[in-house]
Amino acid sequence: MKKLFAVAVLSIMVVFVVSSAFAASATGTARSNVGCGLGTMLFQNNADQSSLLQAFQATTNGTVGSQTFGVTSGTSECKQPTKFVSNERLNEFVVANMDNLAKDIARGNGETLEAFADLMQVPAEQRPEFYQKLQVSFAKIFTSESVVLANVVDNVADVSSTK
Amino acid sequence: MRFADFSVTAVYGVSYPVYLFFVVLSVLFFFPLARPSSAADDNYLDVLLKSAREKRLYEDRYWDILVHYKHHGSGMKSLIDDPKFFLAPDGKRNPAAELEATIRSFFREERNGEEHPRCRFVARYAWLKEKLDIDELRLPPVDCTEFDEALKKVNPHSAALVFPTTLNNSPGSMFGHTLIRIDSEKQSDLLSYAVTYAAAATDTNGFLYAFKGIFGYYPGYFSILPYYEKVAEYSNIEYRDIWEYHLNLTEEEVRRLVMHVWELRDIYADYYFFDENCSFDLLFLLEVARPSLHLTDAFWDNKVRFWVIPIDTIRVIKESGLITGEKYRPSQATRILAIASHMESGNEDVALDVVDKKTSPQAVVEMQLAREEKMMILDLSAELLQYKYSRKQLEKEEYLKQYLPVLSARSSLGKQDADAYSITPPIPPEQGHLPGRLSFGGGYRTDSFFTEIGWRAAYHDLLDPDEGFTEGAQINFFDISGRYYFKEDRAQLQRLRLIDIVSLSPRDAFFKPVSWKVNTGFDRELFSDGDEHLIYRLNPGGGFSYKSGFLGLSYIMIETDLELSGGLQDNYSLGFGASAGIIKRLSDSWKIDLSAKSVYYVAGDEHRSIKTSLVQNFKITTNNSIAFSLSWEKTFDRYQSEGNLSWNIYF
Repeated sequence: MKKLFAVAVLSIMVVFVVSSAFAASATGTARSNVGCGLGTMLFQNNADQSSLLQAFQATTNGTVGSQTFGVTSGTSECKQPTKFVSNERLNEFVVANMDNLAKDIARGNGETLEAFADLMQVPAEQRPEFYQKLQVSFAKIFTSESVVLANVVDNVADVSSTK
Repeated sequence: MRFADFSVTAVYGVSYPVYLFFVVLSVLFFFPLARPSSAADDNYLDVLLKSAREKRLYEDRYWDILVHYKHHGSGMKSLIDDPKFFLAPDGKRNPAAELEATIRSFFREERNGEEHPRCRFVARYAWLKEKLDIDELRLPPVDCTEFDEALKKVNPHSAALVFPTTLNNSPGSMFGHTLIRIDSEKQSDLLSYAVTYAAAATDTNGFLYAFKGIFGYYPGYFSILPYYEKVAEYSNIEYRDIWEYHLNLTEEEVRRLVMHVWELRDIYADYYFFDENCSFDLLFLLEVARPSLHLTDAFWDNKVRFWVIPIDTIRVIKESGLITGEKYRPSQATRILAIASHMESGNEDVALDVVDKKTSPQAVVEMQLAREEKMMILDLSAELLQYKYSRKQLEKEEYLKQYLPVLSARSSLGKQDADAYSITPPIPPEQGHLPGRLSFGGGYRTDSFFTEIGWRAAYHDLLDPDEGFTEGAQINFFDISGRYYFKEDRAQLQRLRLIDIVSLSPRDAFFKPVSWKVNTGFDRELFSDGDEHLIYRLNPGGGFSYKSGFLGLSYIMIETDLELSGGLQDNYSLGFGASAGIIKRLSDSWKIDLSAKSVYYVAGDEHRSIKTSLVQNFKITTNNSIAFSLSWEKTFDRYQSEGNLSWNIYF
């Protein structure tokens, strides 16, 4: 009987090790890499390696921010653009989506680029031209890996105002 | 201007009871002060209270919705558990007292906008103002600046129901969940806001998490966040495809919904994994928006089950006529596979070379390839780099050093057709089979005919029709079956699987996931006496799976199996072994699963077991299928074979 008990404990441990090896962090996603430039994105370790345990985590939704009415995240810690009318909504969007925005600008289309144009208040009929201008000037907008919010928005303002 | 100041420190740790104490204290303290000062106001309060009583507003359905009241025994009880949400001390169980306390609270002399009940409970105020025809000039003045600004920012115009599916390569996300997107006049959905209901769980121990989640030990909070953050979370981090269902709510209705979310900010309700979960609580928001809807009733008052599965709530919402169309938003993983599928074979290796720094992005531009192919290579490289970075397989510096040159090279190639990477949307999840399963059938085992009846609570089996589900992801919850053997005139419990999960996530050039399984419950096994006996089993395993056109989904796993039974020597058998199989769709409605498993039981009752089976499933309609299985096994040197035919009805 003692042996049985030991084996039962052992098997439960095996399951536990197997499960926890596959389990993702219980705290869910959090913006763990806040910044004003590229490479600011969400992280989650091993999200595709899951388990029964993560199953429960996932259905509880698992995440809670520091705010429940988080309609503003704020970019006050970032240098503000100077060549474009101050627009907090735009700034927040660019900070949170800079990598995808860079990708869309390089491609000349995409949902992030469309949202960006929306926030820049570019009229629909001017957008194809706007996208093309940004694409050909990619290197002038994303001048280096350390480019930040203020540079990107100001560079876009420069690039799109040239004929 | 930050709205972050309503911090939910209360969620975390010790500050929570202290915080509550002060809330209660402050309510008690301010209550006498808040009484109207002039006789005229006193009169007006009495007029309103009288009018509310005459109109029996406390019995109005909308009041029940606003305070989340549900029938409880002979009375009513709100599903909200946070004392902050109630203005009357017994408000949780007394709709009439809560209504009167709410009307009284409108007369409080506090200019502090945020916490004044007229600003705090904006939806209650708006409704009562309309119902009682309240003359605001006869109430003490108050400014709800914070609410006005928040509303302006969200700018509600229309709404959508959002369903991130289960993880592409894991049923770990179980049933998926739902959120509501609030759309403004802006064209891009990314600029919308998302309302979710989530448990504030801080434990990192999975078992503790599961226990607390099931039994309501976590507080659930509503929150509203930019939709692009949720898209990033589901699409780019968890690789879950998203379904977005446009709702036909009017601007006024969506506005009411947002007002109610405002009322619920920092207010908790105990979160229950099975019923009071993310999907159930969202239904209240839709009822607040359009009170003629009866959505929560289906899961609470008239419930036939004690659990709420997100897809079921989508079905109920769809039946109510709210849904006008759906949109599929592929995850980054789906996009990566889609780009690769459009490329000429071999070129995806060039993209992998770029990621591995064996080829420079500029070299790709100079290759003797069609321009479209070069674009695809660089687009794929960019997506893969993002993927590796989000997985922390690349450091930030390293990632940026590669990412920007790839994009820079890509920008020199010009524009790709907008639909170059078109992805055909799969069947939406609510069009798949229903989660319950009832099966009737019978067969022949060794030397006796039997008839069998089975019932499964939820949710999807590898052999069930795949439409609307993730292929290779099985979650069976509470699967029970009983048999009657004619020859022996014996009825017996055949199986009671409490849980049976299989996650087959194919490995390919880009993704290297692990496949795994776990099941536990009662089963019948062949013993050395040549008879089958009831055992309790725990059977986990892990391995790899692959997908190919010829074999379909194939897998191989290492397993352990623990069997407990009084009929076994030492009451148990512990074994190690391996299994392999293929699951292939031969046509849209015909699926086969061929598998083999061998286990050496090395501890307890030592023996060896080999099992093979061929299961076929024929889909008749979405919610009807016929299964036919053949199996053969050798256990304890005893042979047994079985044929079984059954009719599955999904409900």
